[in-house]
Amino acid sequence: MKMKLIYSRENLGKPILSEVINKTNLPINILEAKITLNTGEMLIDVPAEGEKLKEVSYLFQKAGLIVKEITRTIEIDREKCISCGACVSPCPVKAITQDSNWDVIFHEEKCVGCGICVNACPVRAIQML
Amino acid sequence: MSEERGIEKLRTYEEINQKIKSGDAIVLTADEFIKTVEELGLEKAAKEVDVVTTGTFGAMCSSGAFINFGHSDPPIKMFKCWLNDVPAYKGLAAVDCYIGATAMSESKGFDYGGGHVIEDLVSGKEIELRAEAYGTDCYPRRSIETTININDLNQAILLNPRNAYQRYTAATNSTDKILHTYMGTLLPHYGNITYCGAGQLSPLYKDKDFETIGIGTRIFLGGGIGYIIGEGTQHNPQNQFGTIMVKGNLKTMNSRYLRGATYYKYGTTLYVGIGIPIPIINEKVAKSAALKDDEIFTHVLDYGVPSRDRPVVKKVSYAELKSGKVQINQGEVPSSPLSSNKLAKEIALTLKKWIEEGSFFLTRPVEFIPNYSELKPLEVKRREPKVRDIMTKEIIVGKPNDNIKDVAKLLIAKGVDHLPIVDDEGKLMGIITSWDLAKAIAHDKRQLHEIMTLKVITAKEDEAIDSVIRRMEQNNISGVPVVDQSNHIIGILTTDDISRKLVRRVIS
Repeated sequence: MKMKLIYSRENLGKPILSEVINKTNLPINILEAKITLNTGEMLIDVPAEGEKLKEVSYLFQKAGLIVKEITRTIEIDREKCISCGACVSPCPVKAITQDSNWDVIFHEEKCVGCGICVNACPVRAIQML
Repeated sequence: MSEERGIEKLRTYEEINQKIKSGDAIVLTADEFIKTVEELGLEKAAKEVDVVTTGTFGAMCSSGAFINFGHSDPPIKMFKCWLNDVPAYKGLAAVDCYIGATAMSESKGFDYGGGHVIEDLVSGKEIELRAEAYGTDCYPRRSIETTININDLNQAILLNPRNAYQRYTAATNSTDKILHTYMGTLLPHYGNITYCGAGQLSPLYKDKDFETIGIGTRIFLGGGIGYIIGEGTQHNPQNQFGTIMVKGNLKTMNSRYLRGATYYKYGTTLYVGIGIPIPIINEKVAKSAALKDDEIFTHVLDYGVPSRDRPVVKKVSYAELKSGKVQINQGEVPSSPLSSNKLAKEIALTLKKWIEEGSFFLTRPVEFIPNYSELKPLEVKRREPKVRDIMTKEIIVGKPNDNIKDVAKLLIAKGVDHLPIVDDEGKLMGIITSWDLAKAIAHDKRQLHEIMTLKVITAKEDEAIDSVIRRMEQNNISGVPVVDQSNHIIGILTTDDISRKLVRRVIS
């Protein structure tokens, strides 16, 4: 499960992520991070489900972060798509591929929601959700 | 020079068309023909197969449409005109215009352009027409605002000066910044490769010596019927960069095969579907039609170098490009197309179906198009200012051990914002800006080497100003040290130099 963590001024400078990793013993992976002097956003991948996932979410919230669970990232409008492939190689995590018929296949589980494909699409067939 | 071309040794156009009429023509797509040649051998396959169909569906910027609106009452000699706010070329008669694929909407910009207007016209949508005029004795009207659709128009003719490149160079990016180009999105550090062209389905590569493709060749164009009317602009067939100029009636076309498109931060264009039938008139044509992806090569160029002559990174086959990964510098780089291989196949199959059904007949070219054509560059004959002409030569530099407060005083005294840091020999080591100094004082740092930026964006003195301005924009900086071959600092170029010295030149 991917999660977006939103830091406010009050909780910057605290090792919240390290504490959660230590407590849960989960190999949480940072996919994207934007931290400035007074705000911060981090996209992480939490390899857990069910109760364990709830615990992770609870720990972040307890530390003062806003937690958003990312279930869907982008959507491809198949009516507009011309199966060109302009979105395929720019995807930094190989979440978009083409099959042997050159149809564009989206692998939701790999997507980190970076949005590079949205701009790469020449016919505006991809939308961020 | 074209005597030996087009010899109808195996079959004539009349014989082929007779077979199409009686439903006996053997028609294969280029993909199918390749398999047949592998099974039967070239000689036997060439004897059996009458026509090979091809297809491509890619962004073709040199595309557009001539439109005749008909006359209003009172009539107008349109001097300027817009279709859905996209400017059309009006240097023609009163109510004729040319809408080009790359023209952009004056209100929507990159999101909507001439290519989209053409797609919307073909889809039957209503298009806003706005025109202005100066008024004449014969054409008194000074403005018009109305809507049109394709059925209202007297003529809507797709006429594309350059389409269907035989092959195209592929693109990658060596820089540390993401690039948005007409070759799509290019990730930093050779992060990906994009390519265009249908490879073994590419119409002009399947008759690469232009033995059957010439003026008057009937083709599949945008889902309708079109004709080749000559060589395309920048036609360079001896290097397999041949192109064609095509025309066809927009009213017969289908928006599945004509799609308006936008390349992010580049501009608008039109995806055009083209399919060309290759009559197998002799074995040489058959051999070309049987070329496979692993026999068709192109070069991967570094689009990180913003120059006409981009460095070649690798020679690569379409088979390797289509495999989705290309080896570069011992690493595997993902590759993906910009033109649609799926639609290219569909077009080749559709054209095959048309011929098999007897609704599409082949034409012998009225004239061949050149099989040799030089590609000339545009030389700039007037002297343009280079970096050396507008850079500041009296440079103030710092040393890594200088005291920050002294340096701050110096910058204020001299009124500069950039301080290159050099070693004892005058070689560039880093750079400090006035903003860095403010931060240093806030964080109580003492010496320059603690705060200087080590990775300095620089310029060379013989570079074009525009290239350096682009680099400054990409890196969001306002000044670059100018260095020589051995990294000695010889000047500095700032946005201040550019606005004061360059703008004054332009005005004067």
